[in-house]
Amino acid sequence: MHTHPSTYDTERLIQGAWQHDKWSIARLISLFEDTRPHAAQYRHDVLSALQTNTQARCAAFIGLTGTPGAGKSSLIAALLPRLLAHPSHLHIAVLAIDPSSPLTGGAVLGDRIRVRLPSKEKRCFFRSQSSDQDLGGLSRKTFQVCRLLYWLFDLVLIETVGIGQSEVSIRHAADRVYLLLSPLAGDEIQFIKAGIMEIPDAFVLHKADAPAANATYHTLQATLGLLRPPQAPSPALYRTSIHTQEGLDALAAEITAYRPPPLHASMHQREAYAFQRWLLDEYGQQALRCLSAQQTNPTAYLRTQPSFEHAQLAFDAQFWSWAASSCVSHNDTNASHTPTHPSASLPPRTSEPPR
Amino acid sequence: MPSSPSAHQILDRNGSPTSDRPWIFRTYAGHTNVHASNQLYKQNMEAGQTGLSIAFDLPTQCGYDADHPLAKSEVGKVGVPIHSLDDMHTLFDAIPLEQTNTSMTINGTSMWLLALYIALAQERGVSVSSLRGTTQNDIVKEYLARGTYLFPPDAHFRIIAEMYEYCLLHLPQWNAANICSYHLQEAGATPAQEVAFALSTAIGVLDLLRQRRQIPENDFGQVVERISFFVNSGIRFVEEICKMRAFAELWDEITLSRYHVQDPQHRRFRYGVQVNSLGLTEQQPENNAWRILIEALGVTLSRKARCRALQLPAWNEALSLPRPWDQQWSLRLQQILAYETDLLEYPDIFDGSPVIQSKTDAIKAEAQKEIEQILGIGGVHAAIQSGYMKSALVRSMAARISRIQRGEQIVVGVNRWTETLPSPLMSDQDSGLFRVDPLAANETLALLKQTRLQRSPEKVQSALRSLQEAARNGQNMMPASIQCALARVTTGEWADALRGVFGEYRAATGIEGQTLSLEEDRRRPLQDRVHALTERLGHRPRMLVGKPGLDGHSNGAEIIAVTARHLGFDVIYAGIRLSPDDIVQSAIEESADIIGLSILSGSHIEITQQIMEGLRDAGAADAIPVVMGGILPQQDHPILRSLGVRALFTPADGDLLAIFDTILHLLEASSPEPPTTHADRTEQE
Repeated sequence: MHTHPSTYDTERLIQGAWQHDKWSIARLISLFEDTRPHAAQYRHDVLSALQTNTQARCAAFIGLTGTPGAGKSSLIAALLPRLLAHPSHLHIAVLAIDPSSPLTGGAVLGDRIRVRLPSKEKRCFFRSQSSDQDLGGLSRKTFQVCRLLYWLFDLVLIETVGIGQSEVSIRHAADRVYLLLSPLAGDEIQFIKAGIMEIPDAFVLHKADAPAANATYHTLQATLGLLRPPQAPSPALYRTSIHTQEGLDALAAEITAYRPPPLHASMHQREAYAFQRWLLDEYGQQALRCLSAQQTNPTAYLRTQPSFEHAQLAFDAQFWSWAASSCVSHNDTNASHTPTHPSASLPPRTSEPPR
Repeated sequence: MPSSPSAHQILDRNGSPTSDRPWIFRTYAGHTNVHASNQLYKQNMEAGQTGLSIAFDLPTQCGYDADHPLAKSEVGKVGVPIHSLDDMHTLFDAIPLEQTNTSMTINGTSMWLLALYIALAQERGVSVSSLRGTTQNDIVKEYLARGTYLFPPDAHFRIIAEMYEYCLLHLPQWNAANICSYHLQEAGATPAQEVAFALSTAIGVLDLLRQRRQIPENDFGQVVERISFFVNSGIRFVEEICKMRAFAELWDEITLSRYHVQDPQHRRFRYGVQVNSLGLTEQQPENNAWRILIEALGVTLSRKARCRALQLPAWNEALSLPRPWDQQWSLRLQQILAYETDLLEYPDIFDGSPVIQSKTDAIKAEAQKEIEQILGIGGVHAAIQSGYMKSALVRSMAARISRIQRGEQIVVGVNRWTETLPSPLMSDQDSGLFRVDPLAANETLALLKQTRLQRSPEKVQSALRSLQEAARNGQNMMPASIQCALARVTTGEWADALRGVFGEYRAATGIEGQTLSLEEDRRRPLQDRVHALTERLGHRPRMLVGKPGLDGHSNGAEIIAVTARHLGFDVIYAGIRLSPDDIVQSAIEESADIIGLSILSGSHIEITQQIMEGLRDAGAADAIPVVMGGILPQQDHPILRSLGVRALFTPADGDLLAIFDTILHLLEASSPEPPTTHADRTEQE
C-alpha cells in the first residue's frame, strides 16, 4: 500500500478534477506542494493538460488579510453560502494559510475549525497550508497551488494573517485584496494607516456590531481617501457583522461581480513575481545582475520562455556560463561554489531545483 | 442537664452535644433510554442514595434530536436521552418530585430541561415552588473543557441570568447554576487556577445580574446564596483541603466586598463534589478504589469546607461507563465514611493548624492574583473570547503530562510499580465493563416519533414562534420555554429555534503556540524521523486530528495536536463536534497522511464504521491510515482493527512519544522509497 506514490497518475487525477472529485483535486494540490525534484515535470504535464482544456475556469483570486482575530475565517464562513448561491454556480476554493513554528517547522492549521463548511458540496473546496517558516504569511507553496487552482475554479479565496510583509506578497498572489479591520481605538488607526493601508483594494470593517465600530468606521472613511494619489478613487469600505448579518450580501455581491484582468494577464504577473522570488532565493542578487548584464530582467526573460518551468531550467543552464563571464567577476567571492554545482555536469534538467 | 462544652464537640441550639447531618449522597447516573434510567434511579434510591444526579446523553446536552446526523451514534451512550415532556413523565415515574433533590448535569440546554421539569410538576399537580435541585448551567467550562455549548457566550450568559431571575420568583430553592471548577481540574488547572477561574465565573454571573437590574436590591443576597459550586477533588488531598478552605474564605470576602451581602448565611460557600476522574488509571484499575477514598477525604475532613453533596466515580471509569454494581460500591464508601466513622461528630479539626492556614493563604494569594488578571482582561467573558483561559489550561495540562512523562509525578501502576498479578475483578463474564445496548436507541427514536405524531402541530409552531419572539425582544425566555414543553416541542426544535436567533459558536482551541516539554533525548530522534519523512513525502506529514460525535472533552485531542506540531507535523486540527462526513471531507480535501481520532463517548464502533465507509466512497480508504485514542475497551480492539483502524491508544498509553513512535512507523511503512529522478525515469521508459 502506498500512501503517497512517488509517481502521480496525472491523467487520472486530471480527469477526476474536471469531475470535481475532491480526492483527485487534493492529490493534485499535493503535487503542486511537492518539494521533491521529480515533481516539477508532473506539474508541467498537468498544467499543459489543464490549459488546453475547454472546461478551464480561469479563477479570480481574492485575498483576505488582517490581523489574527480580525475574523477572517468567520467572514469566509458567512460569505461561502452566499457565493455558492450565485446563479452562475461558481466553483470556489479557499486556501487558508497559517503560520508555522519557527522552531520546529510544524504548524497547527486551525482555520477549518472556524469555518463550518457545507457538507458534500462539490463546488466548494477548502485547503489549509502552513506558511513554512516564510515569515509574512504567504507560503512558498501558495503560488504553486494557485497555478493549479486557476484552471479548476471560478473563485479562489486566499486567507492570510496580515502582519507587515504579507500584505505585499498577497498583493502579488491575488487579483483583489481585502483588508479586514476590527473596531479599534483611534491611536491604533493612526498606527495602521502608516504602512499597510496602501496595499488593499478594499477594506472591510468586520465585527461592525461592536461598540467602537461607528467611530472606527468614520475615522477610516475620513482617512482612506488621503492615502491614495488625488486622482485615484477612494477604496471601498465595507461594514460587516456575523451577528447582525450586516453587509454580508453586499460584500458577496461585489466579489462575484469582480472580473479579473483578461487573458490570464494576472497569472503572468504572478509568475513573474514568483520567478523573481525564486531567483532571489536560489541565486540572490547575483542572478539579477546576470540578467541585467544580458540586457534583460525577470519579467522579460520569463516571456522569452514557453513556461515557468522552462524559464527556471533555461536560467539554471545559462547561469553558470554567464556567471563565468565578466558580468559577476566584481562580486565572485563564492568561486568555489561554481565548479561543484551539480547541474554543471548534468544533462539539461527537466526538474526544478530544490525549493 | 448538658455536660460542659468541650472544644471537640458540636453543640446544638440547646447546648447539647450533637453530630452533623451527612452530605447528600449522589450517583451520576443515566443511560440507554428513559425506561432503563428510571429503573436505575429507583434502584439507587433503594440502595440509600439521597439525591438524584441525572446524566443526559450528548444529543440532549447539545440540543439535537436523536434522528439528527450528529446525534445518531450517541443516543443513550453517556446518559439518558430526553426529547420532550413525554420522556420526563417516564424518567420520573414513581419518583416524588416534591421530596427529591434533583441535580441535572445540563448546560447548553439547561433552560430547556428546567422548563421540562417545571412543566412536569405542573402536569402532575406538584407545587412548582417546592422544587429543589440544581441545573449545572456553567457555560464557561463548556467553552473551556467540555464543549456542550450551543450559542455564542452572550446568549448563554443571558440564559443563565434569566434562569436566576425566574427562579428567584418561582423556584426559590432551585440553584439555577452550579459554577464548576470540576472540569477545570480535569482540563489541567492548578488548585489556584481552579479557584480563580471558578470565582471569576461566579463574579461574571453576579455582575451580569446586577447590570440587568431585574433583581431588587434587597433580594440580591438571596440570589448570591443560590450560587453553588461544583468542585473537583484530586489526589493531593492535603492541598485539596486547603483549596476548599481558600474557596470558602475568598467567596465570603468577594460577596461581602463586591456585592455587599450582609447576611453571612447568604455568603456561605456551598458546593458539591465529584472526585477526580482524570487521575483514575486504566492500569491496575483496582487501585482507583483507594484513590477515590482518599479524594473523598479531601472534601469531607474539614468541617468548614465540607461539601454539601458528593458523588464518587467508579473504580473502572477509565475503562468504560460503570455498571450499577460499580456505582453501588462507591456509594457504600460514602455511607461508611458518614455512618461508621466518627467524622461527623467533631467541629473543624484543622482550625488552628499553622500548616493548613499557611497553605490556604498561599492558594488564596495566587488565586486572587489570577482573578485580578481576568478582571483586568475584562472579566470571564472577555477571557473566553480572547482564548486566555483556554491557553492557560492547555499549558497547565501540558506541564502535568510532561511531569508524568519525566517520572517527576509518580502514578502507581503507570510510571512506577507497573508489574501486577492478574486482576480477578476484570475476569467477570462481562470483563468488568458496561455496554449500552446499541438497539436501545431504537426505543428512543420510536418514542420521539410517537410524541411528534400525537401533538398538535399548530400549538408547537405557535410555542416556538413565541420563544423566538422572546429571544429577539429580550424578554425572559423561561415562560415561553415552559409553554414549548407543554406543547411537546422536542429538544432539537427548542435548540434550533434559538440557534436561528443567536447563531452557532465555535470556541477558541487554545492550542496555538503551545509547546510541550518532552525529553530532549527521546524527542530528537522522532524529530529527525519527521524530517526524513518530509523529504520522502515531499511535504511535512499532515495529520488530521479531530473529535467525531458530540463528546466535547477535547484535552486528549489537543495534547496530541500540540505534540504533533512540536515534532514537526502539519496538524490540521478539525476540532470538536464533527460528523463522520465532516472528518472524511477534511481528510480528503487536506490530503491528510494520517487521521487521528479521539473518542470518549463509547460510540467508537459506529463512528469508525461511518468514517471508513466515507473514506472508501471517496476512494481514499487505502491511502489514509486511521488511528484512534480514547476510552476504548480492550474487547472492542479486534472489532476496531477489523474495521481498519491501524493503531489504538487508551489512557494506558500515557507516553506521548511512544504514541508518535507508532504513528511514525505507520507513516514510514506506507510512504514510498526515495523517488527516482526524472532522468532515471526516462531511462527506464
